[in-house]
Amino acid sequence: MAQNIKIDSQSSLGFDQDAYIVCRQVHKVYNANGKPLEAVRSVDFSVGDGEFVSLLGPSGCGKSTLLMMIGGLESITDGEIFAGGKPVTKPRREFGMMFQDPTLLPWKSALDNVMFPIDMMRLPRSRYLDRALELLETIGLGGFEKSKPRELSGGMRQRVAICRALISDPRVLLMDEPFSALDAMTRDEMNILLLGLWQTYKKTAIFVTHSIREAVLLSDRVLVMCDRPSTIISDTKIPFSRPRDIRLGETHEFNEICAMLLGKITAARTNGDGEPPGEIVVGGAQS
Amino acid sequence: MRDHLDVLRTGDPVAEGTTRYGRGLASIPTQALLSVILPIVTAVIALVVWEILVTRSGIAESILPPPTAVLSKLINFFELILTHGIPTTLETFVAFGISIPLGIVLAAIMVYSRPINQALYANLIFFQLIPKIALAPLFIVWLGIGAEARIAFSIFICFFPILISTVTGLQAVDRDMLRLCQSVQASDWQILFHIRFPYSLPFIFAGMKVAVTLAIIGVVVGEFIASTKGLGYLILFASSRQQTDLGLAAITVLCGVGLSFYGLVVLGEIVMKKFYEIQ
Repeated sequence: MAQNIKIDSQSSLGFDQDAYIVCRQVHKVYNANGKPLEAVRSVDFSVGDGEFVSLLGPSGCGKSTLLMMIGGLESITDGEIFAGGKPVTKPRREFGMMFQDPTLLPWKSALDNVMFPIDMMRLPRSRYLDRALELLETIGLGGFEKSKPRELSGGMRQRVAICRALISDPRVLLMDEPFSALDAMTRDEMNILLLGLWQTYKKTAIFVTHSIREAVLLSDRVLVMCDRPSTIISDTKIPFSRPRDIRLGETHEFNEICAMLLGKITAARTNGDGEPPGEIVVGGAQS
Repeated sequence: MRDHLDVLRTGDPVAEGTTRYGRGLASIPTQALLSVILPIVTAVIALVVWEILVTRSGIAESILPPPTAVLSKLINFFELILTHGIPTTLETFVAFGISIPLGIVLAAIMVYSRPINQALYANLIFFQLIPKIALAPLFIVWLGIGAEARIAFSIFICFFPILISTVTGLQAVDRDMLRLCQSVQASDWQILFHIRFPYSLPFIFAGMKVAVTLAIIGVVVGEFIASTKGLGYLILFASSRQQTDLGLAAITVLCGVGLSFYGLVVLGEIVMKKFYEIQ
């Protein structure tokens, strides 16, 4: 019943009709030693089916919290989040997650780490084994199936994590600063890889980052999030056609968009209470 | 990108690195040897000094016998010492063997049940602060002078470190790792067995290293209080008759038992670390 009302009100608010993920007036308040701490305030946005959207903002602005709420891994204090028309209350199989850390199990081989979701969901291993090997091959880790995470570089570990996120063929990819712990060159490599993968698999994706260039390079839309209050302050369509490659970062138009986004973030921060700004990376996705 | 990976695969930079490193620092084996030899030399010197001081100064053998006297007692009375060593070893083994699953299972229950955790944790810490050894006579009152009392007392003092360190280990798992598990809809049991338990193994072994020495202390204290066999009994018996050399011989064997148990734990830790690739 409540669900129908929400869907009706969507159109009046101008939400995309074929939106797959919809956030409506989402709030998150933490209890920090007895005092309420606002992490996310009145966030409204939607992500279309098959759309790649970045949540861009400084560290500690609540973008990861928002992503975790979408993934059903954090409770929502107020408001609603829908995925495929149904409210998100707990994690779903249709979500594939990636974190800043590859979170691989050190005692399992690359292949077994990729198969981890299949094992946990108690799905038949034999049905997914070929897919796992194919994913590893596609991502450039053919021949490393039996390697333990210790034997792999940081970038290779994060690639295993990508395969793991894709193994159960999720409809939505939720990525929480997946490349921010990597060095700049590996990060570029991973961005190219992700562009290629997205071209192949066309997943609905939400990508949290604090790198402006990374967000612009990868996304169809960039949502800028700011702290104090932690909310979305702008929604920018990225007009570049696909497939894209890293040279896009050298074009004038690309840099103009980056400068415009940086301007928005700076303006929002100087209007605030003058606290020192958090980490925001302007460069990064340049080869 | 492909080329880059191929280089990684065929170049084998690790093996090259080791040889170069090995050649450059030829003294490394000597260093390793020294770390074994030096403590042994120190111990031997201490024993020799002891031997010389005791024989030269004319201290009565009943007060402090020279190491050679202890050694000859150990050889001559080996059968007697062995008869007393076996029950001590077995009781320690049983007590320690029960403490490990007891500590781990209780820790898992405490980590998974918030009310039980809240009800127990503060009390357990309080219990830790009690000089538990003071309770030993009560165990004899409750359970008699048989092996049960000593085993129960030994468990009582040695399972706390296992419990506390396992609780710490089970809770120390990375938050994103747990989120990953939730996102792939792993059950609490799956998270416990596949994630929490393996990640807490280093903590569990740290607790076991403390516990294994306490387990022997528990049994020996029990034997001091009321027993007719065991190394604790033998030490007490020998001391009361001023047979200090026999007492020291029994203590030597007790050290050997303790070292063996500790060695077993360390061995288990090495095997575990190898299996779980924990550095």
